[in-house]
Amino acid sequence: MEDPARHIDELRARFDSDLAQASSAADLRAVRDRYVSRKGGLVSHLLKSLGSAPPVERPRLGQLANDLKLHIDARLSAREADLPPSRQALEAVDVTLPGRPPRLGHQHPLTILRERMEAIFTRLGFLIIEGPELEDDYHNFEALNLPPEHPARDMQDTLYLGTPVRSAAGSPATLLRTHTSGMQIRYMEQHPPPVRLIAPGRVYRRDDFDLTHTPMFTQVEGLVVGEDVSLADLKGTLFAFLRELFGPDRQLRFRPSFFPYTEPSAEVDISCAACGGTGLGPKSAANRPDDAGCAMCKRSGWLEILGSGMVHPAVFEAVGYDPERYTGFAFGLGIERVALLKWGVEDIRLFYENDLRFLEQFPL
Amino acid sequence: MKIVLPWLRDWVQVPGDADEVARELSLRGFEVAAVEHGRLAVIDFEITANRPDCMSHVGLAREASAIWGLPLEAPPEAEPASSGPAERLDVVLEDPDLCPRYCAQVFEVRTGPSPAWLGERLEAAGIRPINNVVDVTNYVMLDLGQPLHAFDLERLAGRTLVIRRGRRGERLQTLDGVERQVDPDMLIIADAERAAAIGGVMGGAASEVGPGTGLIALESAYFHPASVRRTSKRLGLKTEASLRFERGADIAAPPAAIARAAALMARIGAGVPRGPLTDRYPSPRAPVRLRLRAAGLARLLGQEIPAPDVPRFLEPLGFTVEPARDAAGPGWIVGVPTWRVDVSREADLVEDVGRHYGYDRLPVTFPALTAPQPQPDPRIGRERLVRRVLTSAGFSDAMTFAFIERQAAQPFCTPGSEPIPIANPLSEKFAVLRPSILPGLLDACAHNRRRERRDVRLFETGSRFTGDGEGRAAAFLWCGAAVDPHWSLPARTVDFFDARGVVEQICAAFGIEPDFRPAERSFLVRGRTAEVLARVDGSMRTLGSVGQLAPDVAEARGFPPSEEIYAAELDLEAIAAGSPGGDLRAELLPRYPSIVRDLSILVDEVLPAAAVRGTIRSAAPATLVSVVEFDRYRGQGVPQGRVSLSFRLTFRATDRTLTDREADEATSGVLAALAAAHGAERR
Repeated sequence: MEDPARHIDELRARFDSDLAQASSAADLRAVRDRYVSRKGGLVSHLLKSLGSAPPVERPRLGQLANDLKLHIDARLSAREADLPPSRQALEAVDVTLPGRPPRLGHQHPLTILRERMEAIFTRLGFLIIEGPELEDDYHNFEALNLPPEHPARDMQDTLYLGTPVRSAAGSPATLLRTHTSGMQIRYMEQHPPPVRLIAPGRVYRRDDFDLTHTPMFTQVEGLVVGEDVSLADLKGTLFAFLRELFGPDRQLRFRPSFFPYTEPSAEVDISCAACGGTGLGPKSAANRPDDAGCAMCKRSGWLEILGSGMVHPAVFEAVGYDPERYTGFAFGLGIERVALLKWGVEDIRLFYENDLRFLEQFPL
Repeated sequence: MKIVLPWLRDWVQVPGDADEVARELSLRGFEVAAVEHGRLAVIDFEITANRPDCMSHVGLAREASAIWGLPLEAPPEAEPASSGPAERLDVVLEDPDLCPRYCAQVFEVRTGPSPAWLGERLEAAGIRPINNVVDVTNYVMLDLGQPLHAFDLERLAGRTLVIRRGRRGERLQTLDGVERQVDPDMLIIADAERAAAIGGVMGGAASEVGPGTGLIALESAYFHPASVRRTSKRLGLKTEASLRFERGADIAAPPAAIARAAALMARIGAGVPRGPLTDRYPSPRAPVRLRLRAAGLARLLGQEIPAPDVPRFLEPLGFTVEPARDAAGPGWIVGVPTWRVDVSREADLVEDVGRHYGYDRLPVTFPALTAPQPQPDPRIGRERLVRRVLTSAGFSDAMTFAFIERQAAQPFCTPGSEPIPIANPLSEKFAVLRPSILPGLLDACAHNRRRERRDVRLFETGSRFTGDGEGRAAAFLWCGAAVDPHWSLPARTVDFFDARGVVEQICAAFGIEPDFRPAERSFLVRGRTAEVLARVDGSMRTLGSVGQLAPDVAEARGFPPSEEIYAAELDLEAIAAGSPGGDLRAELLPRYPSIVRDLSILVDEVLPAAAVRGTIRSAAPATLVSVVEFDRYRGQGVPQGRVSLSFRLTFRATDRTLTDREADEATSGVLAALAAAHGAERR
């Protein structure tokens, strides 16, 4: 074998000259491969070959070889750093392979609608309040002009607790609230007028499961009290809210109804999206006499969406408001029903199965 | 209430077809369930609980009369045949509280089928014809709203009707063939010996009118609404009569209804009176008169109503209307008809005027905002924040029922406590209130798993219930993959540290530095459970727990025992209490560079990482700004029973550039402390 020290010098000279001629990133990579790649690089080869040198020589040669390696690394790094950034120089990736998206959970459709409604009412100057789901009979019924044995209690079949439960709100709770109105009573007990609030939350009724009933559902109720609040104000507020929620194309209808805690009472209907408000079924286009009419709205062209009315004077008396001085309106709607009318979710039970295939259909 | 259109036209000549009549009435508060265009057109109305007077043809005829401005006409009936020789009937009203008015009259009858027109009308209205006498009672009920009942007089002991409360242990068989027990809370109609009917609910089988009946006692009464409702609920027996009485019948109607029945029986040859009408009405009610102010009307409706409209709308409904001016301005004195049991205040009159004016004609206005709003409820914002953190962490928002199966609830109750039962649950599946959100989430995960979704992350925020009352909580459940499958990554299933990390994120969102301590929970795996704590007002308070769900709990809900499911539940009130209030103070950014030192040590493998971390923190100078565990290794090169831990220590001073020597000295100090406290060796 030739003189290893001279060989190291030669390698250094060859490297310097090769490096001087290299002008691109590819040239530099080729130089790096030639000299210092782990397999087959000239310097790697040199280091291995030192094993056969006489033992007394080894430390000195090792030092020289190492110096050369450091020299090459430093010069290559310096040249690479000087290179203008070049896109072609970087290794290509297959951009058609799927990425690594961070997993994002979906909001529940009822949460989405609830927050949308809260946003609309907040813009209309409403306060949002929350309250207990376990209630006492007084706040759920009696204070709302529903004394025991009132036939209208049948409208809200109630789930009762087996044992009374302590309540932070006051007297022990005996039932699952059938509406969120109890919160409104509590609010009025503690605050003088004016009042302008919505009370969203889960409510419970002893309803068997079917396409439109579950024993738990979600409501948004509202209450406005002031010195000259009128039925026309109620109509204006509800129409503004519903037009924003459903868009300007749906027709609205305001008609009389009955609730024990409001007088006068009113319901709002929205034109049926399935038939466009005509009440006609799919066969009517062909002028078929056997057209059974629209199944969604049962031929009426309208779908009920919301109950409301002017707060009953007895309710004001129960909370210590003067019914001669103050008037007010209240309203309530089920969020599941809005989802049905807005998104066509025809089976309310889907909301409580939490099937990801369902939840993932709704926006993040 | 099924209204037969030709029957309605006996009262008022409404124009148009059934659809048009239905539409107009629906806009006045009478919702339409269905319209049937059969040989007799029928409109099925959903009559609200306040309008028992409209559970009749005459009731809706009055409304139609107000809508179309057409007169209400008495239906053409033959005069009742004059009475034959009087037959004896004694009526003893013992309980005028539960029965304020009781009328009865004896008729001689010839039972047989009703004429076709009557049977058809009844059938169209949804009532099965039985015989001419019973059919007449039903017809009058559907016509006037007043239920009648016919007793076979000769089967009444002593020819006596006693209106009294039931006696303890007293029984009777009702017309539906069921033997029923009555009690002293119930009003019954008895003969001289035993109960013959349950007042306002159903008659008794023993005095039922049949083919052999020759004389009847025809009852027409007013029963106390709450009493009928209580009795009907107690017996589980709802009838056409009880529905009307419990909502409130017309106390003036009983004599008129008997007269109408007499006229009808005469017309169809079913019977003639045999004796005078008995009318027991010990405390006649005073007529109700209400003041209606023009200003009150306009104020509540938000619309001035032309004065002539008020009598135009109210008089066809049976109200009397006299103009009257008082200190409050112009208005009316309105006499309320006895059948309008729902009208007791001015607001009730406003509704009737408003209904017939038309809600669709009301203007669209907005209530004035006269004061700023109070602070919003803090719970709303904090639950939104939790939802934001958890959806960002890949969890989907679930909603599960507040009531669950008892067995599903049991493992989640604190030891020694029981879930709160529901007195009248829909089924055993909904028997108790949830003590935790987790059982509902577990079932939701199981549901997804059965539908080929094995990688599930779900959370819920909501109420949970214990003997101490209800509280708000957030819970999540994670099963399957820890990271979504990807061609570049090895697959890995969820473990404790994934779940703990999510809890750390939630705490961080509230500015809380949580402490995790080994703990035991009945629904979590021992050794893989941590209690989450935070400092609240100077002492440590439990926020909740995180850990692996006990395999037996998961298996009971349909998971294979090998499935590892991680869960956490946090008390949102505790989180709110642990969250530092007030405005945040922004910190200036560091001006001097930091120095990093890595440290690898060998310690006993059972030594908790928190202990090592605590020793490092207390031994290091104030320049230590962070400690990060970046490696934990057991195996080759590490003695049995020991573990290699690697920490990255970052030092920085706020007032100068630290020197390497300072960092080295601090690191040596830390090492010495670790050796002294835990027998740690540098690796």
